[in-house]
Amino acid sequence: MKIAVCVKQVPDSETRINLAAPAAQLDESGFTRVLNPYDAYAVEEAIKIKEAGGEVEVTAITAGPAAVKETLKKDCLAVGCDKAVIITDPELIGADEMALATAMAAVIKRDGYDLVLTGIKAIDNDSGQLGVLLAEQLDMAHVSTVTKLDLGDGNLTAEREIEGGKEIVEASLPAVLTCQKGLNEPRLPSLPNIMKAGMKPMEEVSCADLGIEVPASLVTVKLYSPPHARGECKLIDAEDPAAAARELARLLNEEAKVI
Amino acid sequence: MLVGGDANAAAAEAGKYGADKLFAAGGDELAVYNSELYGTALAAFCRAQSPDVLLMGSTAMGKDLGPKTAAKLGCACVSDAVGLKFDGAWEVRRPVFAGKCFTDVTWSTATAVVGIRPNAFVMAEKAGSATVENFDAGTAGVTSKAVVKSVAASSGGTVELTEAEIVVSGGRGIKGPENYELIEKLAASLGAAAGASRAIVDAGWVEYSHQVGQTGKTVGPNLYIACGISGAIQHLAGMSSSKCIVAINKDAAAPIFKVADYGVVADLFDIVPALTDEVGKIRS
Repeated sequence: MKIAVCVKQVPDSETRINLAAPAAQLDESGFTRVLNPYDAYAVEEAIKIKEAGGEVEVTAITAGPAAVKETLKKDCLAVGCDKAVIITDPELIGADEMALATAMAAVIKRDGYDLVLTGIKAIDNDSGQLGVLLAEQLDMAHVSTVTKLDLGDGNLTAEREIEGGKEIVEASLPAVLTCQKGLNEPRLPSLPNIMKAGMKPMEEVSCADLGIEVPASLVTVKLYSPPHARGECKLIDAEDPAAAARELARLLNEEAKVI
Repeated sequence: MLVGGDANAAAAEAGKYGADKLFAAGGDELAVYNSELYGTALAAFCRAQSPDVLLMGSTAMGKDLGPKTAAKLGCACVSDAVGLKFDGAWEVRRPVFAGKCFTDVTWSTATAVVGIRPNAFVMAEKAGSATVENFDAGTAGVTSKAVVKSVAASSGGTVELTEAEIVVSGGRGIKGPENYELIEKLAASLGAAAGASRAIVDAGWVEYSHQVGQTGKTVGPNLYIACGISGAIQHLAGMSSSKCIVAINKDAAAPIFKVADYGVVADLFDIVPALTDEVGKIRS
């Protein structure tokens, strides 16, 4: 079985973003970059399938500049992926998910995979479209927001999170799954394995190599800081907790009119 | 455009909010949500009617169906829109980095699929009713490679976090899983959803479905009450678009007070039960 894991390198969730003025794009040069946390569930699930036995090969696929190599090495290859493919096209930096999906689908079609795993969304652009777009382009089944997976012979059963509950979905292979927190606990790489990961194959390809043109459909007009300006926090005297609770309830009811 | 469901009931509801006409695609195969079939139906509808934008909710279903439909049409897809304007060209506002900043986007394709974040717009009622026109979506005989076998409701939480008008969240200040019921009781008294910080989800005190923040759910309710939450940047990202924010925390220096409208520097064990009682009095 061949498994592809589509991953993205993103700014760490503790990153502060302050835009002094609206901008066409974000200056991300000072940001600490990590593996998208949701993609870590996809990587872990692929490795668990490999460890369960049988002939399984796991490939991490990403798009981005040379700086993604460090993340691929540490968070994908050192925890058990067998190889990595980087689509290094300048056109893909900041591209929308339709463009990313087109490029990644070309690699997946070229090499042929039975299972494609990715996170439910990347925590930078928050769109959460990649998995579904890949499935349609590859004509594969898909299940999104997966929190439990049982692989069968040529098929799978997955639990998918929905509002207020879950769905049990059966799908045929090949399939694309988007992975949600709760699916597993991603492992951390060991130092010796990080050293060894440098020996694993890392292929770099361009869109031209793949014979594709990247479709540009979304256009960013501008980026800007949140438009909500907040006033001072009104502190309520908490000397007497009961009185403080009463005053808070009164303010929420009469002043803010929210309860 | 209605796929599956009761066309007359949907027409009455859509008419109430200003729709003039409801296209309805029905059929046994559309009785239960299925990405392939519903996506096929919506793509057929867009080919026939050529809308500028196809709007849907950015719900669990919409986040699945939106990209599916867009991929079939080869058109642009925008998730979680919180603003929409047309001024010769379309511009959609959406949060990125879980709300740490916003972006305005437009598109170069004839149609775009746009998901609207729950609670982003006020629902203005207009007296009216929509007429129903049946639409043959050509889904009879379409097969799907993935099929929903069963649906199970989760235990606990009754109000969905992302759609709730009020959210009450607990953090490390609750000290242990047994005390989360303080949060749930206050939430119940307000008809609110119960949320949680990443710290107590990772500690296993509360299910992941309650997590608010950049690696959980992004919420924007009318009222957000943070109890015993210090306000890590990734948590603030997930809730700072709330219209009114209350912080209850022992530590006066906690960052949560920087985004709060009302603050109580006190032990949540003293304040939260008392507040639950006070809310009960107001509500009755």
